[in-house]
Amino acid sequence: MRRMLLPVLAILVALLPADVGAAKKIRVVSTIPDLADLTRQVGGDLVDVTSLATGVEDVHAVPMKPSYAVLLNRADVVILMGLEMEHAFLPALLEASRNPKIQRDQPAYIDCSVYVTPLEVPTRLDRSLGDIHPMGNPHFNLDPGNGKNIVRAIVDGLSRNYPEHAATFKKNGDAYNAKLDEAIARWQREAAPLKGKKFVTYHPDLIYFAERFGMVQFGTIEIRPGIDPTPAHVADLIERMRQNKVDVVVREVHYPAGLATTIAKATGAKLVELPAMVRGVPEAKDYISLIDYNVRTLVNAVKGG
Amino acid sequence: MHRSAATWIRRGIASALGVLVIAEPFTVPAQQPAGEAQLRQELDAVKEQLRRVEQQMRQQEELIRRLSPVAPPSAPAAPPVAAPPVAAPPRPAGAPAYTPDVEELKRMVLQEIQPQLAAANKTFPSQFNPAIGFIVDTVFSHSRKNKSNFEFRSAEIGFSGNIDPFARAYGIINGTPDGVDVEEAAIVTTSLPWGFTVKGGRFFAEFGRLSTFHDHDLPFVNRPLVLDRFIGGESQADGVEVNWLAPINHYVSLTLGAYNKIGADNDRVDNAVPRDLSEFTYLGRVHTFFNLTDSLGLDVGASDAYTPEVRNQGLKERNLFGVDLTLRYTPLSQAAYRGFIWGTEVLVNHEGRPGITPTEDTPNQIFRFKDAWGLYSYLEARLTRRFYPGLLFEYVQDFDRPAIYTRAISPYLTIWASEFQRLRLQYTHVETTMPRRTDDQFFLQWTAIIGSHVHSFRDR
Repeated sequence: MRRMLLPVLAILVALLPADVGAAKKIRVVSTIPDLADLTRQVGGDLVDVTSLATGVEDVHAVPMKPSYAVLLNRADVVILMGLEMEHAFLPALLEASRNPKIQRDQPAYIDCSVYVTPLEVPTRLDRSLGDIHPMGNPHFNLDPGNGKNIVRAIVDGLSRNYPEHAATFKKNGDAYNAKLDEAIARWQREAAPLKGKKFVTYHPDLIYFAERFGMVQFGTIEIRPGIDPTPAHVADLIERMRQNKVDVVVREVHYPAGLATTIAKATGAKLVELPAMVRGVPEAKDYISLIDYNVRTLVNAVKGG
Repeated sequence: MHRSAATWIRRGIASALGVLVIAEPFTVPAQQPAGEAQLRQELDAVKEQLRRVEQQMRQQEELIRRLSPVAPPSAPAAPPVAAPPVAAPPRPAGAPAYTPDVEELKRMVLQEIQPQLAAANKTFPSQFNPAIGFIVDTVFSHSRKNKSNFEFRSAEIGFSGNIDPFARAYGIINGTPDGVDVEEAAIVTTSLPWGFTVKGGRFFAEFGRLSTFHDHDLPFVNRPLVLDRFIGGESQADGVEVNWLAPINHYVSLTLGAYNKIGADNDRVDNAVPRDLSEFTYLGRVHTFFNLTDSLGLDVGASDAYTPEVRNQGLKERNLFGVDLTLRYTPLSQAAYRGFIWGTEVLVNHEGRPGITPTEDTPNQIFRFKDAWGLYSYLEARLTRRFYPGLLFEYVQDFDRPAIYTRAISPYLTIWASEFQRLRLQYTHVETTMPRRTDDQFFLQWTAIIGSHVHSFRDR
């Protein structure tokens, strides 16, 4: 009997996962890379973060891969933007994940919109207005001021689930937000030429950025949110852009290039391509470099660079 | 209310004090010198009394301010004209009379506006009603053999909502020219441990891929012939199903089910009568997914529906086996307007079918086990956000005489006006052997959704 014991123990030890004994990290699944970066800033070595979207996608069309359900099945917490931004993929994936603790309204369901003041909250809910978000425009990640609100929500959410690390999360969150404060002051100076400049985007996902830096959204290439343009809409948009001397046409990198280019050429507006998320372009490696990229690109455009 | 009363009292008292003080020079000379000291004493007593009243008023005012939602600048009290100086509490210049801490202020504000919030936040008896969606599916069809028709296919109402922390329920009621039918009405658990879910009621059994799609959700106008003939349309079933997501890093989902029968239009089994356990249909399915690249994914599934004894067919067994493959190309940065999907299902039916017709010499019915198979395969491209062209190929053998087969080819184009409205044009050429018959069909389908619309994992 004793002879058998040793080999059995050896096999059991060999089968143990490699990380047994090591401090277990908190498994975080975020919906977009911006949240992944900010969670790493808050959680430091305590968290192991995976993002569902890679950053180049249209956040309203992230594919529902079964492999994402597996990731969510293993997650300790899920971190999302909220305001129904992820409605096209997250609710179904959460259901498929069979993970009761990360379902909506559970403590491990961390909604980063809680401290955000939403813009474009519809006064009327009607599909004739397009694929509108009942709680307001959800693209608040592009305003660095809301970056601070996201950090605050992540600190709250992680602390709620792991109160033993609350002091660490708070310290890291405060330190990162101080860094963001410095960056915001710099961006405000650098973005001075953007004040009052009119722009058109494909989808209304730059309004929080515009609000922060004093730009004016003139219109969208989409006829309504989520509804592709008709020729009549494009003709009308071009005419109005000419009359009102719109400065910039923004094509978010996940929308087709052709129409935005045509409109920019027809109106004389400067065409720029901007990411809507971290890693949307190679330069936007993290949250700060994303805002850096967007500010720099737009300033160059309005300066004629 | 309190505040205006206090101000009014204060003003009144201050005015009275002013009148007293103004009246003083006229009354004093009328007094005798002996009573002057007494008079002055009385006046001092009045002044002291007034000072106390003033102090008391200030304290009350402080209290009122504490209870008020905000502290607007106080209306200046009527200046005590020529009033004697009264001791006022020390107050730094320009500072508000009261500076509560933030939390205290929040509490006070919320407390004060709570009635308005409660009034605005109305409740309705229907507040807990489920999400409701309504779908209209209508088709114009033209067939060389069957002429033309405006075909109202269905009007479908869907309900869904959580029952409690442990389960949700959904129902789909379908109205067609043939009548109104409960297409699905099921309860699904939401909080079982270890990756399990249990579903019970009437629902679409997890056999293959497109058999679990409602007609209006199909990528083409009509359900593939092989699903129509081998399953009986949608895989509608009354029964129970257990699904398990394997706790490994690779997606593997296993399903086991037991049902009266599978197939909405499967008329060979009576859904209403009680039966032996051997007459139920039992299902097993395994489904996995391979993430070949960031943009390319392959779903593979295998399903088997086994009925030990089919009553209408001499209690012989039936086994329906299927394999489904779905390859999706979705370039991540262009997911909304580029990509393709290639979907294929192969089904094999093995069952005892009546052989030689009974005669006096051979009164017992003779059964023969027959195998028949069929498949469909389609390729659909996503050219823009609006235009999805595709091509569907079908082949299916006859159950009883597998030598007879039907094949069809259908090019189609789906035009999405929006996520909630769709037009589809389809041409279908059908050929059947023995005797050889052909038909050419043309369809124009118009489908729309209003109300609640859920992007489900099953219909992805």
